[in-house]
Amino acid sequence: MAGQTDMELIKNGVRMDGRKPDELREVKIVAGVLDNADGSCYLEWGNNKVYAGVFGPMECHPRHKQKADRAIVQARYTMAPFSVNDRKRPGLDRRSSEISYIASQAFEKVVMVEEFPKASIRVDMQVVEAHAGTRCAAITAASVALADAGIPMRDMIPACASGKVNDIVVLDLNKEEDNYGQADLPLAIIPSTGEVVLLQLDGHLSPEQFEEAMDLATSGCMDLYDKMRAALENRYGGKK
Amino acid sequence: MSEESSSERKLVLPGDLMETKSKPGRGIFRKDGRIHASVVGHSSDKSGYINVNGIKGRYNPKTGDKIVAVCAETGPSIWRMDIGASFNSTLHHSESGWKVPFGDTARFLSIGDAVWAEIFMVDAAGSHQISLKKDDCRKLYSGTIVKINPTNVPRVIGKQGSMITTIREKTQTRIQIGQNGYIWIDGKGDDISLAQKAVEMINEEATSKGLTKKIEKLLEK
Repeated sequence: MAGQTDMELIKNGVRMDGRKPDELREVKIVAGVLDNADGSCYLEWGNNKVYAGVFGPMECHPRHKQKADRAIVQARYTMAPFSVNDRKRPGLDRRSSEISYIASQAFEKVVMVEEFPKASIRVDMQVVEAHAGTRCAAITAASVALADAGIPMRDMIPACASGKVNDIVVLDLNKEEDNYGQADLPLAIIPSTGEVVLLQLDGHLSPEQFEEAMDLATSGCMDLYDKMRAALENRYGGKK
Repeated sequence: MSEESSSERKLVLPGDLMETKSKPGRGIFRKDGRIHASVVGHSSDKSGYINVNGIKGRYNPKTGDKIVAVCAETGPSIWRMDIGASFNSTLHHSESGWKVPFGDTARFLSIGDAVWAEIFMVDAAGSHQISLKKDDCRKLYSGTIVKINPTNVPRVIGKQGSMITTIREKTQTRIQIGQNGYIWIDGKGDDISLAQKAVEMINEEATSKGLTKKIEKLLEK
């Protein structure tokens, strides 16, 4: 948000990658790509590339984390060392711990955790290539992977960001817009009810701009939801 | 729950609203008095109940199910058995039918050994116990174990056991199909691998039609 640049991020209502302010980057979702995971998904979103794998429900280790009346979701978000320009030091850091935590919280809202006491559902999200918006990409991919694993859930959760660039509210920031823009607002919702399960905000937005950004991100989530459904229908032969 | 006609089969995804007046059965949750699907699967609306038969997912143990279990851990008086569910199952020495001296469990069943057993108790917390004292339950010697998706077990068995009878006769093997998707196959080396190939093919193409013919063709070769 703080960076300065001479680049023109938006010119005559067209963004640097040729998109309109309310347009998503191209999204490709494939369900069930990994053999060893119970459920999996590969997602390409613009230049982002993310794998998600789901294991479980299985016995929760360490045992002090078990809940006697429900399962817990243990999500793990990691970025590959080669996913960014400067090699990322592998392993946990502040940012990935935070994203792992908020993703777990979001999934526990939709997964029917009360059906599996003492169990753990592991969700692993691996970012192979990062180009802004990886937490949204990872959560979207993991939702499809959870459904692919046959885990009972109330709905899938699409996640999509909106933000502010050159005082214009735009959908789905790319890397340049994320680095040099004014605000970034990742959002994840439950499409059937409209409940918000993840909301963060980095930067400054006026109350009106915030409302606009929320509406834009919500519509982005709904577009994404159709693509997630298509991916699962494709995998399980819904369209015959 | 064998082969349903394909016109009834409809793919549903988690959260989908089910337009029905039937009572909710499996793979279903209720919200605001309406019925939604909770898993990816095919819906069926029969005899007053609506069910969603999940396509994937771990085995959900039910009392009385016959299963193939593999020993995962031994304790002084119990065995912990892998049955493909969320948790390992317990086999207590008193349910084994053997007279086991305390601490000598591994002499009867060691890690990797398989048994044909019955689930005799599932408690509310999700833990379960199996027994070897029922009917034809026993330890399984030699042979191999193929793991398939538990939801495809009815396809491997076929209508009135037609599919499994075909495989058994054509390959001259002994087969035990556990409800948990673990299938024990014993016979001569080549026969086992042929039967295994057939079972794996059924698992992969469980939703396609005319499977019995395909399997017969595979076994003819």
